[in-house]
Amino acid sequence: MSDIPPPTRMNQQVFKGKKKAASSGHRLLKKKADALKVKFRDYAKAIAETKGSMASDTSAAFFSLTAATYAAGDFHHKVREGNMRARVRVGAGVDNVAGVKLPVFTQLDTGGGQQAESLGLTGGGSKIDACRTKFEGLLTALVKLASLQTSFVTLDEAMKVTNRRVNALENVTIPKIEGILDYISRELDELEREDFTRLKKVQASKEEKIALKKKEEEEE
Amino acid sequence: SGPCRPTPSPCFRLFLAPFFSQEDAPTMSYGPTLPSVGGISTFNIAHGFVESLVRGMRNSFLKDSDYHHLTQCDTLDDCKMNLGETDLGLALQNMAAISPPLVQRAAIGKLSEEFLYLRSQSVEPLSTFLDFIQHEYMIDNIMLLLKGTLSGRDINDLISLAHPLGLFKESTMRSIPTFESSPKGYADLYQCVLVDTPVGLYFSKFLAESAQALGSAGEVRNVLEEVEIEIIKASLQKFWLEDFYAFCEKLGGDTAEIMCEILRTRADTHAINVTLNSFGTALNEPSIRASDRRRLYPSIGHLYPHGTALLATVGDADQLGAVVSQFSQYAPAWQVHTSGEGKSIDDAFYERDVAALELAFEGQCHFAPFYSYVKLKEQEIRNLVWITECVLQGQKGSVNEFVPIFSQHAPWRVKAQGRR
Repeated sequence: MSDIPPPTRMNQQVFKGKKKAASSGHRLLKKKADALKVKFRDYAKAIAETKGSMASDTSAAFFSLTAATYAAGDFHHKVREGNMRARVRVGAGVDNVAGVKLPVFTQLDTGGGQQAESLGLTGGGSKIDACRTKFEGLLTALVKLASLQTSFVTLDEAMKVTNRRVNALENVTIPKIEGILDYISRELDELEREDFTRLKKVQASKEEKIALKKKEEEEE
Repeated sequence: SGPCRPTPSPCFRLFLAPFFSQEDAPTMSYGPTLPSVGGISTFNIAHGFVESLVRGMRNSFLKDSDYHHLTQCDTLDDCKMNLGETDLGLALQNMAAISPPLVQRAAIGKLSEEFLYLRSQSVEPLSTFLDFIQHEYMIDNIMLLLKGTLSGRDINDLISLAHPLGLFKESTMRSIPTFESSPKGYADLYQCVLVDTPVGLYFSKFLAESAQALGSAGEVRNVLEEVEIEIIKASLQKFWLEDFYAFCEKLGGDTAEIMCEILRTRADTHAINVTLNSFGTALNEPSIRASDRRRLYPSIGHLYPHGTALLATVGDADQLGAVVSQFSQYAPAWQVHTSGEGKSIDDAFYERDVAALELAFEGQCHFAPFYSYVKLKEQEIRNLVWITECVLQGQKGSVNEFVPIFSQHAPWRVKAQGRR
């Protein structure tokens, strides 16, 4: 504290204002941190749920692929040679949570249409359809999980920053301002006491002078 | 069954066998010069050795105990150990670790080695018969090469993916990507390459049929580009089935009896599958049903002509069920499909095929064991891939859903014995 502000009344007003601003800012940031925490917990729960079902969904999807290959023969190179136009695209959007911008992924169906629809024409068509449905479900779950996880990471970052600010205000800025205010009020009190004492002394010496003068007049 | 035509000096024909060039003979060479298959007294002169080979190979199928050990495995290494004691062990022993695609590749390689050995030891008419079996795989390979080069894949990759039983001349295969994707390029491709392949005949029939249907000149390019590859393949398979059927009929005797029945069932399976799998696709449009889908139904088979006419009008699964249930051979399969146990009509067809093919091995002096051997080996390969995949993915519950071959515990045997 090299540059100690001079302990004047004006400075006291200035610092009172600063303290008010700091505490209201602290209150708002605390609210934001709480809102973020609630959202964080929600996301964590959703992610745990989705991940849990992912494992079984994935194994079911790949097993349906095995069943389809058993019924229809090896068709994976036929799929690869088909027209590679995407039927599903992922759209990136932004979600606003308590002032924090979170990235969100949504699944968009382009009008691409079904390619290679007659894949299992001479056998196994129903199994291939079942396989297709299972993998479509898996894709939806994947996109959802990806969206949740990126939002989660961004939310985590934002929460850390907010909490750091809250702590800084709580433990550094506000105590500092309070310290300064204390010092100013102490100094002002002391100045007042000094003034008071000076006044008293002056009064006392004046009274002494008056008393001396009266005594001299009486002697004459 | 046809009469057994006594051919003059079969030994003479046997002597001349190496000079018949099988490579370049067109498929329809079986004119009046087709040698006879021979009956009980003459079959073994020309074909005895080869038939004994195939009967020996019949022993190489995995038995119930082998399947039992395999289904008990927990990891693929256990599977490898169990497979090491079977006929497939030799093919797998050089691999450090097995995986389902590797097992499939090794088993198909072994099958084609054995088959090509049989082919090299055979004489007419068995060699043409074995050629017919190979044509099915050639159709698959040609479609693979055509589609692959259209998408710009490297020809060496495609050749390595091709089925070994369906390879034709290397030079022909390598020349496919040299044609450009333009109308003239397609016409050239057809005239220079496809016509020369043994399945070229089916292509010309297909183009003639499409030209008829399209009404116009029916350019090669339009057909190859606009018609979906799967539909082209289904049409080629139809022509192959009809050609094979005509050949077997000409052979006469027990061969004709057994093979024609097998091929009739196969044609009906083809028709039912095409109908069932066309729901939800463009082929099911009422206008297209009568023309395009009807053209995919073979003209052999129990369902032809009344059944196929009915099938051409079918629009959804219920109507199909109504039509199929009218035919006593296929009603049980349809019931399995709709019973909702998780088995589909493909499983029912596989079981019925295996039962019929096993019967082809009973009885001697005909060619059916050769076809039956290839098809049963295919089913065994499917079983192996299924079991290894289940072990790999940890799906122990479904590991027994395969069709056992030559097994006393097969579902149809148990049922038949139970009835007794």
